[in-house]
Amino acid sequence: MNKIEIRNLVFHYTAGEPILNDISLAFDARSTAIIGQNGAGKTTFVKLLKGLLKPVGGDVVINGINTSDATVAALARHIGLVFQNPNDQIFKNKVLDEVMFGPLNIGQSQDEARERADAALAMVGLAGRINDNPYDLSLSERKLISIASIVAMNTEIIIFDEPTIAQDFSGKEHIKAIIRDLVAQGKLVLTIIHDMDFVAETFERTLVFAQGRVLLDGSTREVFAEEEVLRQAHLEPPHVTQLAHRTGLPGTPLTVEEFVREKRAQGAMRPVTP
Amino acid sequence: MKKIVVEGLKYRYPLTAELALNDVSFEIEKGEFIGIIGRNLAGKSTLCQALMGLVPHFYKGAYGGSVTVDGLNVAQTEICELARKVGLVFQNPFTQVSGSKMTVYEELAFGLENLGVPRAEMMPRIESAMALLGIERFGKRNPFDLSGGQMQRMAIASVIAMAPDIIVLDEPTSQLDPQGSEEVFQAIQALSRQGMTVIMVEHKMEKIARYSDRVMLLDHGRLVDFDTPERVFSRDDLAQYGIAAPIFARICQGLGIRTPQTGLYPMTLDDAYDQVVNWHE
Amino acid sequence: MKALSLYQDNGTLIHRVDPISKLLYIAAAIFIPVVLTGFTAGLAMLGLSLMLLVLARVLRKVVPLIGFSMLVLISVVIIQGLFYAGNRQVMFALGGVHFYREGLLFSAAICVRVLNILCAFALLVLTTRPSDLIESLVRQGLSPHFGYVLSSVLQIIPQMTGTMETITDAQRSRGMETEGSLMVRLRAFLPLIGPVVMNSLVSTRERSLALEVRAFSSRAQKTFLNEERVSTSNRVIKIVLLAAMAAAVAWRVVS
Repeated sequence: MNKIEIRNLVFHYTAGEPILNDISLAFDARSTAIIGQNGAGKTTFVKLLKGLLKPVGGDVVINGINTSDATVAALARHIGLVFQNPNDQIFKNKVLDEVMFGPLNIGQSQDEARERADAALAMVGLAGRINDNPYDLSLSERKLISIASIVAMNTEIIIFDEPTIAQDFSGKEHIKAIIRDLVAQGKLVLTIIHDMDFVAETFERTLVFAQGRVLLDGSTREVFAEEEVLRQAHLEPPHVTQLAHRTGLPGTPLTVEEFVREKRAQGAMRPVTP
Repeated sequence: MKKIVVEGLKYRYPLTAELALNDVSFEIEKGEFIGIIGRNLAGKSTLCQALMGLVPHFYKGAYGGSVTVDGLNVAQTEICELARKVGLVFQNPFTQVSGSKMTVYEELAFGLENLGVPRAEMMPRIESAMALLGIERFGKRNPFDLSGGQMQRMAIASVIAMAPDIIVLDEPTSQLDPQGSEEVFQAIQALSRQGMTVIMVEHKMEKIARYSDRVMLLDHGRLVDFDTPERVFSRDDLAQYGIAAPIFARICQGLGIRTPQTGLYPMTLDDAYDQVVNWHE
Repeated sequence: MKALSLYQDNGTLIHRVDPISKLLYIAAAIFIPVVLTGFTAGLAMLGLSLMLLVLARVLRKVVPLIGFSMLVLISVVIIQGLFYAGNRQVMFALGGVHFYREGLLFSAAICVRVLNILCAFALLVLTTRPSDLIESLVRQGLSPHFGYVLSSVLQIIPQMTGTMETITDAQRSRGMETEGSLMVRLRAFLPLIGPVVMNSLVSTRERSLALEVRAFSSRAQKTFLNEERVSTSNRVIKIVLLAAMAAAVAWRVVS
């Protein structure tokens, strides 16, 4: 069964100024990146998935529940969202309490919440900081707290809003590892993101939003092969893919390793000229 | 001409134990485009604020060494005086909106009014800054009605309108989509070619490699290296400083390709293309 | 975004009158009826204000304001009509309750005065951009720092409600109920107010840094993007208003 079904979704704040225009989509288990120009409707789309906004037309069905018939709090058992700015949610004096807040809200027992919070904090690498005040940690560590506090809710679907903003290289690698870990646990992971290199290295499926519609939908490799369409949507392929395209290397490599492997294979096939 | 001279700069924020900047010395020429890289908390933002005088004037704390900007000793010059020479764009665009202006056009005028720029001079400066950042069509909008990306462009334009000799940008494109951030880099490069000295903190290494004349690598408050992008990104100990070279350099490294003349890895799409396309194992 | 302002951008003649003249008009609208006492002057000023509001095409916006104040004023009329200390002469009776002439006249005077002040202020508020008003005051010598505080409050408070919405969304996303019984709402208070306070502390500091960078503390003679409106008509308006106030005083002294 698809975890998310979207049928003819229409949304606007003011009639005549559509933000999302007749979107039909299904999300299976594949991790999916949603990319698009600023103002393409990505954030609105995610708010509709979470039930924070309700469709003007059409249906959003999460795990069989139509968002129009459920409260945000009820949907929270099924779908988690990590907000862009961790400061928008943190209010407890202890990291552990902060992470247990969501699980307790959705009806986990004290023991289960504690167990899940410990596991989530271990996953993000903050197991040793459970008694610290979140505001004694750096902003990128607070981001990890906010991720752990959603992961601990053990929802089947987890959405990240721009997880790599203001992260350095090791921060990005860390978040990449967390996402892969969640995928391995069988969660559906979605993200809104501007960092194409990160998408190429991390996500199986990619959706391109443009002017309230889905312009491209396919495996990340298929989508990033469409350089022309991406440019129309004010995007660009990942750097690896750009170089592959320029040098005529086939197969749309997505990572440095893939590029090197493809190039070596191509070199091996070519007759050596002196 | 030396535009910025930093000698033995040490700085510690109040109520902290560790030095945020530790014995940093360097010189920057007029019109250079300098990229600053380093992991989070390496001291990049602190250094930016030290060039503007916010460190030490705004924060106080323990300060040693000297920063000289255009002949002015920063520690002995007021921030509002330095604001005539140095512009600083912060990472978060929302908190850079003054909040006292009703339109984007007036928002750009805020700094100019404070500096006492005559009205007749204001308008061409505002208009050219808006054109450079591509926000002319938002002139009559309320600043808070802009999206994050548009607000980021406005924050840069607001500082550029003040016509500083030196512009310091701390991750100015974090909210922008790929083409938007490319446009902003090109706009900044245009200013640099007109003689403005540019100092930019950025995690997008491909952009730093492509646009910077020199790259400054900071770690734990210390200056590790300050050299051409090719030299800095060809170091074999980057991982130790939490940095990954630009993707193009990493591909060339994987293939064992170096630029023959320099023995360094190609950094940009164009340079990598030249080398990769002719590569045979 | 909803700015904290009632300004209506209609671009009429009234909109082009400078804010200082409008402030002076408020002064005159309050001052003249007080000096002249009696009904006539107050009614005349009220009539004039209403006419100007019509000219500025904002009368429709004043109606709810008047409607709201009516609730209060009607209760004043009833209370004074029944219980005013000087009540002597019964004017009429409603179901056995007697309304007195003196109390009704007294309360009618209050009504005229309140409506008069309300309309004069409405004329300023509805036809002047808040930032223009503050800018004019700064030109007249108000401290630019104080001016900044006034105008930024108008914009930053609505901005904070935006932050509040995001925070509410973030906590609802973590399964927190924000609607329902008083108990539910009370329980939701801390998770909402905590991040709001932290956020505003952080952004206040960041904003003050950003203001410094834009030479906010500069001691240079401040200039203004918008031209000062020093037209002859604005000067005439001010002279007429001052003259009217002076005439009122003279009339009072003579008669």
